[in-house]
Amino acid sequence: MIKTIGGLLLRAVVVLVGTAILTFALLWNAPGDPAQAIAMARFDALLTEDVIDQVREEVGLNKSFWPAFGDWLGPLLRLDLGYSAVTGRPVWPDLRTAIGYTFPLAFAALGIGLAMSVPLALVATKRPGGLLDRFAVAIASLGNAIPAYWLGLILILIFAVKLAWLPALGAQTPAHAILPALTLGLGVAASLTRIIRSGILEARGEPFLPAIRRRGVNERSIGRDHIAPHAAIPVVTVFGLELAFLLEGLVLVEVIFGRPGLGTFLVQGILARDFSHVQAVVVLTALVFVTVNLAIDLVYRVIDPRIGQNNA
Amino acid sequence: MRSVWVLVILLVLLAGLGPMLAPYDPTAINIPKRLSPPSSEFLLGTDALGRDILSRLLHGARWSLGLAFLVSVISLVIGTTIGLSAALGGKIADWTAMRTTDTFLAFPELVAAIVIAGLMGAGTWSLIFALSVTGWMRYARVARGISLSVRNRGYVVQAKLAGLSGWSIARWHYLPSLIPSLTVIWTGMFARAILGISALGFLGFGVQPPNPEWGSMLLDARVHLRSTPLQMIWPGLAVVICVLAINLTGDALRDAVAKRDAPE
Repeated sequence: MIKTIGGLLLRAVVVLVGTAILTFALLWNAPGDPAQAIAMARFDALLTEDVIDQVREEVGLNKSFWPAFGDWLGPLLRLDLGYSAVTGRPVWPDLRTAIGYTFPLAFAALGIGLAMSVPLALVATKRPGGLLDRFAVAIASLGNAIPAYWLGLILILIFAVKLAWLPALGAQTPAHAILPALTLGLGVAASLTRIIRSGILEARGEPFLPAIRRRGVNERSIGRDHIAPHAAIPVVTVFGLELAFLLEGLVLVEVIFGRPGLGTFLVQGILARDFSHVQAVVVLTALVFVTVNLAIDLVYRVIDPRIGQNNA
Repeated sequence: MRSVWVLVILLVLLAGLGPMLAPYDPTAINIPKRLSPPSSEFLLGTDALGRDILSRLLHGARWSLGLAFLVSVISLVIGTTIGLSAALGGKIADWTAMRTTDTFLAFPELVAAIVIAGLMGAGTWSLIFALSVTGWMRYARVARGISLSVRNRGYVVQAKLAGLSGWSIARWHYLPSLIPSLTVIWTGMFARAILGISALGFLGFGVQPPNPEWGSMLLDARVHLRSTPLQMIWPGLAVVICVLAINLTGDALRDAVAKRDAPE
C-alpha cells in the first residue's frame, strides 16, 4: 500500500512538472510579440522600438527558453505568482478574488447536480426499462447534449428577461449566482444520473446478492449496505471527469453571466495577452485537477480493495 | 438503432448538401431587413446584419460538422500512434508516452483548447490545432491498454516468432482488435468536438466572421437576446440535435460491441 501511494505521488509530481513545462512552452511559443502586446496594454499608444525593447528586458522576454523557464518556475515553487505584466499589480490578490467567485459556484453546481441526479436515478431504477426509467435516461441524454452556454442563455431568457425573477449579469448579490449555478448544475445532474443509474443496475446484478438475500437480510439493508457502496464506485471514478466538465463549463458560464471568476479572469488574460494571469489560472487548474485525480486514485483503492492489487 | 442511423445519414447529408439547400448567400448583408422575425421570405428570420439565419445554419453545418470530423480524426490518428508506440516500444518508451499522456490529461480539454486557440490567435487553423492537441489522450490510453492485453495471445507470439516486425504486428494484429473500442470513443469525441468548436466560436476564438458557424452565430445572437430571442434558439438547437444523434449512435455502438464481446 505504501509503495502504491509512493508510486502514485511520484507520478503526480512528474505530471505536475510536465504541466509546468507545457504551460510555459505554450506561452513562450505563442505567436506575436508579447513584449509589444504588453507595452501596448500598458501605455495604450503607438510605441517606438526602444520602448518595446525596454519592456522586453524588464519582463525577462529577452532570455532563451530554459533560463526564462527557471526564472518563472523558481518563484512559482515558493507560491509567488509574480506581477501582471499588463496591470503591474501582483497576480495573487486578483486571482484570489476570482477564486472567491468561482469556488462557491462550483460547489453549488455540484450540490445541485447531486441533489437532482441521486433521487432521479433511484426512482428510475425502481423499475428498469419502465416509463420513469426511460424518461430519466432521455432527460439525461438530452442534458448531456445541451451546451452550457446555450442553456445559460435560455435560462437568462426565461428567468431574467421574460419573468424578470432573477438578475442575469454580474455577481453583486447571492441571487446573481442562482442562474449560473443552475446552468452548471443541470449539466452535472445529466451526466451523474446516467452514471449512478448504471452503477445501481450493475450492483443489483452482483452474484453475492441472492446469497445475502437468502440469508434473510432485509431489502432496506441490502440497498443501504450492499448496493449503495457498489454503485458509488463508478461515481468516484468519474468524479475527475465531472470536475473537468465543471471547470470547462465554468469558463463559459462565467463569461455569459459576467461573473468575475476564474473563467473570466482567464479569458480576459488571453485577450490582453497577460501571460502571468493565464499561467496562473492554467497552473492552478492543473494543480487542482492532478490533486483531485490523485485523491480519487487513493479513495478508490480504499473503497474497493480489489483495485490496484495486481496492476499498481 | 435504425432510427439512429437515419439521423446520422441525415446529418451527413446536411453537411454535404446543406449549403446547396440554402435559399440565400449566408454572408449577404441586407440592413433594411435586419433582425426580422421568421416569415415566408426568411423562414427563420434574419440576424443583426440582415443575413438569412436559415442559410447561415445550413452553411454552418459544414463548418461545425466538417471541422468536428476533421478534429476527431486527427486526434484519433495521433492518439492511436502514441498508444501503439507505447505498447511496442520498450519500458522507457512506454513510460515516456504514458506520462506525456497523463500530463496532457492534467488540463481539462476545453480549458486547454481555449488557452491554446486564444493565444495562437483566433482562426480556423488554431481551432483545429487546439482541439486536436487536447483530444488524443483517450485514444492513446485505450490503444495501449488493448494492445498490451493481446500482446501475449498465441497468434501475436507466433507472428513475432515468424519474424514479423513490430509495426507489422501493430498493423495486422493490434489495430484490428482496437477498432471497435476506438470507434466508440471516436463517436464520443466527435460529439465533444462539435461542442468544443461551438464553445470556442461562442468565445470568439474559433471560426471567424463572416463565416457562419453555430457557436459564433450564438455569440452574435446573444447581444439581441431581448429583442429577437428566437435568433439565439436556432444555432443552439442545431448543436443539441447533432450532439444528441451522435451520442445515441455511440451508445448503440457501445452496446453492440459489448454484446459481441460478451460470449468470450
